Amino acid sequence: MSKLKPLKALAQIIFVAVAAAVMIGALASTLCSAAPTSGAPPSKTDSTVSTNSVAVKAQASEAAPPVLKPQLTGAELYSMHCNRCHPERYPTERTAAQWKTIMLHMQVRANIPGNQARLILQYLQDNSGR
Amino acid sequence: MFGLIMAGCVIGLALPLRVAAEVSEADFNALKDTVQKLGEQVQALQQSNVVQQQTHEQDTQQIQQLQQKLAETQQIATNAEQKSIEASMTQPMPRQPIDEATVNHNFMMLGDAEFQYAKLAGQHGAFLQADFAPIFLYRGGDNILFEAGFDTTLANNAPGNSGYTTTFNLSFAQLDYVMNDYMTFAGGELILPLGTYTERGAGWLNKIPDNPLAVDALLPGSGLGAELRGGVPVGAAGKSLNYEVYVVNGPGSSDTTGTSGSAGNLDLGGNVGVRSDGVTANLHGHPSGGARLGFFMPFKPHYDLELGISGQSGEWDDAGDHLWSAGVFDAALHLGPSFEAKGEYILTRYGSDDLGTHSQQGWWVQAGYKLAGLDLELPIINNLEIMGRYDSLHDVYDPNNNAFDFKTQRYTVGYVYYFTNTLLFEGDYEFVNSNDPSQADQLIFQLSLGF
Ligand code: HEC
Repeated sequence: MSKLKPLKALAQIIFVAVAAAVMIGALASTLCSAAPTSGAPPSKTDSTVSTNSVAVKAQASEAAPPVLKPQLTGAELYSMHCNRCHPERYPTERTAAQWKTIMLHMQVRANIPGNQARLILQYLQDNSGR
Repeated sequence: MFGLIMAGCVIGLALPLRVAAEVSEADFNALKDTVQKLGEQVQALQQSNVVQQQTHEQDTQQIQQLQQKLAETQQIATNAEQKSIEASMTQPMPRQPIDEATVNHNFMMLGDAEFQYAKLAGQHGAFLQADFAPIFLYRGGDNILFEAGFDTTLANNAPGNSGYTTTFNLSFAQLDYVMNDYMTFAGGELILPLGTYTERGAGWLNKIPDNPLAVDALLPGSGLGAELRGGVPVGAAGKSLNYEVYVVNGPGSSDTTGTSGSAGNLDLGGNVGVRSDGVTANLHGHPSGGARLGFFMPFKPHYDLELGISGQSGEWDDAGDHLWSAGVFDAALHLGPSFEAKGEYILTRYGSDDLGTHSQQGWWVQAGYKLAGLDLELPIINNLEIMGRYDSLHDVYDPNNNAFDFKTQRYTVGYVYYFTNTLLFEGDYEFVNSNDPSQADQLIFQLSLGF
């Protein structure tokens, strides 16, 4: 058992170092890309892992607000809320009718104010699978 | 007249005998034949027209008959309807069908499935468990939702015993009524909003196969009761305040020997109602109350911070002499689509007959970075997320010594490989530092599917 101790200590140091590096790296890379000038190509970081995401993501990031707007759009609210708790679920994954049920579930679970939930539902249904 | 005859003669003379010579007998006969045939054809057509007219008349008759019959049937139906309305006047109103109510639309089965392989230090590796956790959603209109989640797990009894055990749990079963844009009523078996991990911890949501230590050790996951919850927008930039306020039966005592208030008898999941033998001995008199207040601050899509504070308090022993209380602080941060960090600080405190009042505490932080954020354009790398978590538990009840002396620290490093956004392959190594003999280093792999 005691032989394992230094190993453990080493592992802990490595862990802390890696975690710190990851956080600093993430902060740095996000800060660098955080101020997009209008007209710049949508940053690559916006296209995440999944395969069926590309079209949807492109749309969502194009809709990102350049300046203050009177009201957020469904697409903007979608990209603010729908990847907070789990990997993003894309509008094309479900039919318009299924989204109605799922959005009610998510509205309750995530405490999304009703007017925002309606805008997101509209966005999901406009881009739904069927 | 005379003029005409004259003209005829003149023409006759002017067109010398050529015409008369050209219309031969044969030609004439051929022409006659053609005319005759045409006549026959016209006759045939006339005949078929007559037949058609007859058919048409028959059709009309039939249609008239059918119309008559239809009228009779309608009459019968109307009578029946009237009778049934008269009959139902004395019965409750029947349920009205919803517009698009079909099985596929307002009833859904969703959920997740996992299986795990684990190797504990000093033991053989094994396929540890299979887990099927369906969620049923039934939407009864625009603002009514019933949601129920089950958890069926098949797990090895190792290390203590041989064989395996299947467990079937109701994780939650709640009826939600969205009263307005800002408030929803929920009743039933509720997932408790003590912190956010439990409410947001379904299999494919977890980026690490097991739960934070403090969540499992210190908090009840669900409770039978009623809740008001909702969100209120703050400003126009998407910020919102969210809240939950609830009452649940709360923790109980697992006592069977009349020492209900002993520290070791605290049962966080206990107390769901009258005991099956009809005795209420295991139930204290008053429910527990709890609440959470959260503030969600998005800066722009994919960049946000959420902070929350929650707590619950109520008596737990049968006599109602002692309180069990919990306070939780939670935070979650996203910096772009690639970076996420979250954590919770949990403090619980309860009184007992034998050990007085004690506090137990724990906290955890977890961070993940999706390598897609590095822009490397490498296929495998792009689907990987690197994970790290730190867990700490202090002064936790130790049944062996009947004292609050367990201390555990755990470092977890691992990865998530995303086959799709809901098919995740996770691998983690956990370094444990603990005086609790049930804790050990381990390597876990998990395949998880959300559907
Ligand atoms: C507060 C956290 C949270 C947020 C924000 C959230 N979800 Fe979910 N979502 C969950 C949880 C938790 C589940 C797993 C189901 C469960 O445990 O009830 C889930 C499940 C799902 C599922 C699987 C089907 C289902 O209903 O279980 C879909 C699809 C989904 N979410 C879409 C969305 C969309 C779209 C949004 C954006 C409005 C969203 N989610 C925002 C927590 C969240």
